Amino acid sequence: MVGERRLSLFNVVNSILLIGVALSTLYPVWYITVISFSDTVSVLQGNVFLRPRGFNVEAYAEVLKDAKIPRAYLNTVYYTALGTFFNLLFTAVAAYPLAQRGFFGRRFWMVAIVLTMFLNAGIIPTYMIVQELGLIDTVWALVLPNAIWTFELIILKSFYENMSSQIREAAMIDGASEYRILFSIIIPLSKPALASIGLFYFMGHWNSFFLPLIYLNDKEMFPLQIVLRDMLIFNSESDAALVDRAALAPQAMKNATIVLSMIPVLMVYPFAQKYFAKGVMLGSVKG
Amino acid sequence: MQRPIIEAAGADAGARIKKPVKSRFIGMLKHMRRDRQLLLLFIPCILFFVIFRYGPLYGLVIAFKDYSVFQGVWGSDWVGLKHFAKFFGNREFWLLFRNTVLLGSYTLIFGFPFPILLAVLLNEVRLQWFKKSVQTFSYLPAFLSVVIISSMIIDFLSPTNGVINQFLALLGFEKKYFLIDPDWFRPIYVISEIWATAGYQAIIYLAAIAGINPSLYEAAKVDGASRFQMIKSITLPGLMPTLLVMFILNTGSMFRIGYEKVLLLYNPMTYDVADVFSTYVYRKGLLESSYSYAAAVGMFESAVALVMLLAANFLSKRIGGGGLW
Repeated sequence: MVGERRLSLFNVVNSILLIGVALSTLYPVWYITVISFSDTVSVLQGNVFLRPRGFNVEAYAEVLKDAKIPRAYLNTVYYTALGTFFNLLFTAVAAYPLAQRGFFGRRFWMVAIVLTMFLNAGIIPTYMIVQELGLIDTVWALVLPNAIWTFELIILKSFYENMSSQIREAAMIDGASEYRILFSIIIPLSKPALASIGLFYFMGHWNSFFLPLIYLNDKEMFPLQIVLRDMLIFNSESDAALVDRAALAPQAMKNATIVLSMIPVLMVYPFAQKYFAKGVMLGSVKG
Repeated sequence: MQRPIIEAAGADAGARIKKPVKSRFIGMLKHMRRDRQLLLLFIPCILFFVIFRYGPLYGLVIAFKDYSVFQGVWGSDWVGLKHFAKFFGNREFWLLFRNTVLLGSYTLIFGFPFPILLAVLLNEVRLQWFKKSVQTFSYLPAFLSVVIISSMIIDFLSPTNGVINQFLALLGFEKKYFLIDPDWFRPIYVISEIWATAGYQAIIYLAAIAGINPSLYEAAKVDGASRFQMIKSITLPGLMPTLLVMFILNTGSMFRIGYEKVLLLYNPMTYDVADVFSTYVYRKGLLESSYSYAAAVGMFESAVALVMLLAANFLSKRIGGGGLW
């Protein structure tokens, strides 16, 4: 039948296009991984495309032996853990009062909060405040200035609003304080929502590049993204030394570092899908 | 819901005190007292927004002053619009303006349709596993940092053994050092931006498509509509409200070029096409410590963004599509 054939032609073209999309996003990540496991000669000759050539893990051994990279890795883990914890705590504690219908000044607070999404002072005044508070070169410069993301706050607030108010009322009749209701009842019940916004906070901290770039001067404190930037993009002296000693194709070592930096992210990726999509959608509904 | 509580408290107090202003004040105090635990929980939030969101807005006064570290924000001398005049009179202004407008509009014009197209195509797939896997892979770049994405761009375009150049050589073309060619900066920026964000934004459109009433498709099928007709007459109109909101938001952030990627990708050969307001603010303010001047430039940038957002919102309402508020 003509109709059937046209339909299947559409399907074929559509599938090809979509496979193209999937390959275009997958291949770069795969390519980097493959290079990181290949030997120097093959990489320099440029004949590594689909599979590692001369499979070896020397690049990884070099990266781990290096003084800078493991320390940067630990820094990133520390900043991400601390930052995400404070993000979630601040957001949850702020969203709970805002979600209560009769909360004192609720309309005013909401307007004041939403307004900040549109009024942006830019990086310079923010930088000066962080400087004046003496936070430069401390972990708090990465944690406090973005402790609450307005978008995630509104998402969590809506989630709390949609929870049954009977839970809170029942707990109050039983004499529980607001603190107790929040920490022993509401927060445990809102784990899916917290996981969803927590994922965004986690990604934000793990991939953060600009904040450490401007707020941290101490080399010992550099997170992975800054060290990566130095390795990848600038031929700083330290970088040259690194490559010389490694006597490897810089490509392999670069890419080994990238792969290591992607591991946690790619590990949460399959598990996070559900939460990720949910977070994006919740955000879009609230516009 | 807030009203009755205040009024109830006010009426209670009003029985004894005549003056309505005073009674309202007492009602407020009672309300605060009732909500004291909630208010205590709310203090960190207030502090955060006052210090880190409204504080910088106040700090913008330095754009009208000659800020010096020793005199502080308040003690520095007022200079009026000096920094703005200097900026607008600067030869660099037009260069930055042109680059920002071009990068922003190319990203909007070419980048906006892609996620919509991707969502529509994904929606036409009948095999659930295939749809799910393609969708999952398509937003993989959203999990990669801007440093990694930039380094991928640099590696892939490398003139010696980058994949793209090897492919070009295979086809008999000459190898090309794309990243130092000013003509290529904008395409590279826009294409990589689409690559990095299309899958992520498609999630939003897919959710909107999922919200379209399925009986519309069934009715269309009974009437013998083709796939294209259904896309044109059901899917796309169903996407309209979401599309407009996204368009308003994208227009608002159009001139806020992601300075991170520009910072990572530009080099002396491409400064003339790559330098934008935000990278200029970073260089002047944080590298050269001209705080006041950079704050003025940043303020101009934010003001333009706000005006663009309001204009897009106004236009969207005008054509009957509804706005953000």
